[in-house]
Amino acid sequence: MAESGGAEALENVPVYEYIDVNSKPFHIGSFRKLWLDALKPDYYSYTETPQEIQDIEFIEEMRIDEETLDELKTICSVERLRCHSENNPPDTDEIPAEPKLATLKLRKRRQDYKKTLLRDHVGRHDAYANEMEVLAVGRKPKDPQDLVPEGELILTFNVLYPVIFERFKYVRPHQTHHVLGSQKLTDLRDAICCVNDLQVFGEFSETPNMVPQFISKDHYKSAFFFFEGTFFNDMRFPECRDISETTREWAKTYDFPEFHTARMEDTVFYDLKVKVGYPYLYCHQGDCEHIVILTDVRLAHRDDCLDSKHYPLLTHKHRVVTRKCSVCHLYISRWVTTNDALAPMNPCLFCDQCFRMFHYDKDGNKLGDFKAYSYVDPGAFN
Amino acid sequence: MDHFKRPLKTDIEEILSRFQDTASVRFEEFLTIWRGMNFPIIFNGKLEPYEKSTFSRLVFTTAAPYFFPPYTFQIRVGGLYLLYGLYHSQLATPKEKIWLALSDWEHVKRFQQDAADAQHYDVVYVLRKLLAEKAFYFTAMPKPLYFRVRRKQEESEQKMCEEFIDRPSRPQELISAEMLEELANVHEHYERLKMGISAASGQSSSDLALIRQNLAPRLRNAMLSFHSWQKNHMENENCNTAVERSTSERNSKVEESSRRAQLLASIKSKSYGQLVEASKSRRHRQAEMVTATSDAESTHRTSGFKRRALSLKERTKTRLMAQGNVKEEVLKMTRLWRLSAVEDERTEEKKKRKFAWKVESEA
Ligand SMILES: [Zn+2]
Ligand SMILES: [Zn+2]
Repeated sequence: MAESGGAEALENVPVYEYIDVNSKPFHIGSFRKLWLDALKPDYYSYTETPQEIQDIEFIEEMRIDEETLDELKTICSVERLRCHSENNPPDTDEIPAEPKLATLKLRKRRQDYKKTLLRDHVGRHDAYANEMEVLAVGRKPKDPQDLVPEGELILTFNVLYPVIFERFKYVRPHQTHHVLGSQKLTDLRDAICCVNDLQVFGEFSETPNMVPQFISKDHYKSAFFFFEGTFFNDMRFPECRDISETTREWAKTYDFPEFHTARMEDTVFYDLKVKVGYPYLYCHQGDCEHIVILTDVRLAHRDDCLDSKHYPLLTHKHRVVTRKCSVCHLYISRWVTTNDALAPMNPCLFCDQCFRMFHYDKDGNKLGDFKAYSYVDPGAFN
Repeated sequence: MDHFKRPLKTDIEEILSRFQDTASVRFEEFLTIWRGMNFPIIFNGKLEPYEKSTFSRLVFTTAAPYFFPPYTFQIRVGGLYLLYGLYHSQLATPKEKIWLALSDWEHVKRFQQDAADAQHYDVVYVLRKLLAEKAFYFTAMPKPLYFRVRRKQEESEQKMCEEFIDRPSRPQELISAEMLEELANVHEHYERLKMGISAASGQSSSDLALIRQNLAPRLRNAMLSFHSWQKNHMENENCNTAVERSTSERNSKVEESSRRAQLLASIKSKSYGQLVEASKSRRHRQAEMVTATSDAESTHRTSGFKRRALSLKERTKTRLMAQGNVKEEVLKMTRLWRLSAVEDERTEEKKKRKFAWKVESEA
């Protein structure tokens, strides 16, 4: 590996910049090539090499005879790792009364503690956290054409929500997307769901039935990713603008190293030079900013979802506690009012039904003076 | 789940340390210990499916480093066997994979070559089996990274198990008997040339005394004193351990020591007769640890005094209360997005007895 590629190759072997925090930058495409050059294809193939062939290879390489191999197979067999008899598998939920292993001591203490609680607080959100991931395990495409090729890279991105809510201060709610190395940055952009794309602008207290169907996503199409000094702008549509320009112009006057621009739709992930574990930026709607972290890059495995049509694959989504209507506590809020003499606070949230019952008479006439805006709950994507 | 990292590390180091005591690299030996400790039940307990996966992942990120340098060959063999055992005993479905970073692949290849050269077929077989079963993810880094910058790194997490690392023998390797001989020859040659020059020009040879006399013997002496210091140091430690484990037990097992270890030993003993079976169970490295422990003690003491500062929110609240601007009930009631309170909600908020992740004795 080192011999074949020289210094450039070494540069693309990822290493830590800060231990356990993030890597140094490396070129994704070259990194993939280094792995493929280093490995025998059957190590990352989706199929298992037939046992006979494995045996012959081993015998030849080790220069041993068949009997030795048979002996090895017996000695090192998986069955021998079991610590119980075959017909008597123990209950894996059970922990012995006096466990010797430190891990089990802690787990037992934890479980005994949980039993003392009146109500076992199972985090429902956690329980379903990887439900989406499990669904995708080993999924094969209907059309063989759509099979993720062997040796393809799978990149994992955590996209954090903008910090706009009080209750988000201590957790880092995020969604996790798997993308293929050969996909374009725009594929990831289209997969990121953000409540701010669904907002409808305008005040509608006079005409609550006339809320337009246009959402922000259709109005403001500009967006960019920022990776390692380059702004990747989405320029697919004529109304797209380079919204990074302001930032770049500003940076020039402050003696920053020059930033570059590229087109999001012309860049695939193989083209990127990035750090693993390092915070980058996704910006849309002008100022809705999301931290984006590439948490992991690896070769595709046979247990992955192998249908390329399903990528980018959403594997985790933070479930937001929905904000209920302040009257009925039952339905998710759809309206937010300000300067509302009828409301206990300013602004105030209402579900559609309560909002109408409260603020309009039978004939639909507005009661009192207030302003009403459409409200999209952050939990709308749950 | 991160709370399990510490006990996991303890268990892993326990099994590897027992394996180290056998001074063997045989899978058979490992298996005896594995079964003796009933290691597979480490996965047992009432766990949700997602917890099983996260726990498996934690197990692999904690165990995998022992398969790589700077650990000794024998520990790395133990690490490999351990990964093999853990991979097949995990309860997650589908099985979680072991993360293998590109930068570690070179180590794996060299390890396999070393094992094959020394005819440790069981080692190679287990490694090949894991590869054939696709037990690995071929990744960029040894684990996923989330930019979790922690202000204080957990010391115990970072600390490497010193007993598992080779005693530094670089000086011995560098200054071999052959090298000394060569150096002596060069030196002699140089002296002769110098004599020739000074004889020809009539100058005194002291003008050209730019290099130490007796270079080779001096180097050899320095080396020997380093070696004897290292040896004494180690014997001191062995005395300390003697209480815990008898040395005789260990020596009797040395004979079974792996062929590679013997090979290495013979190479090393050629020049300086270094003890290779050393450094087995140096539980208490007291001589060296004096400074470290006193450090730990002092930090411990200060942390005992220091109370956590109140948060800004808390401080504002207490100030407001002191000024009498706000009544306490008002603060309790704040539920901004609700007109009315849902009944029997209040009861839920009774202070829960918190779970102590660390027990005093463990800390
Ligand atoms: Zn957004
Ligand atoms: Zn309502």
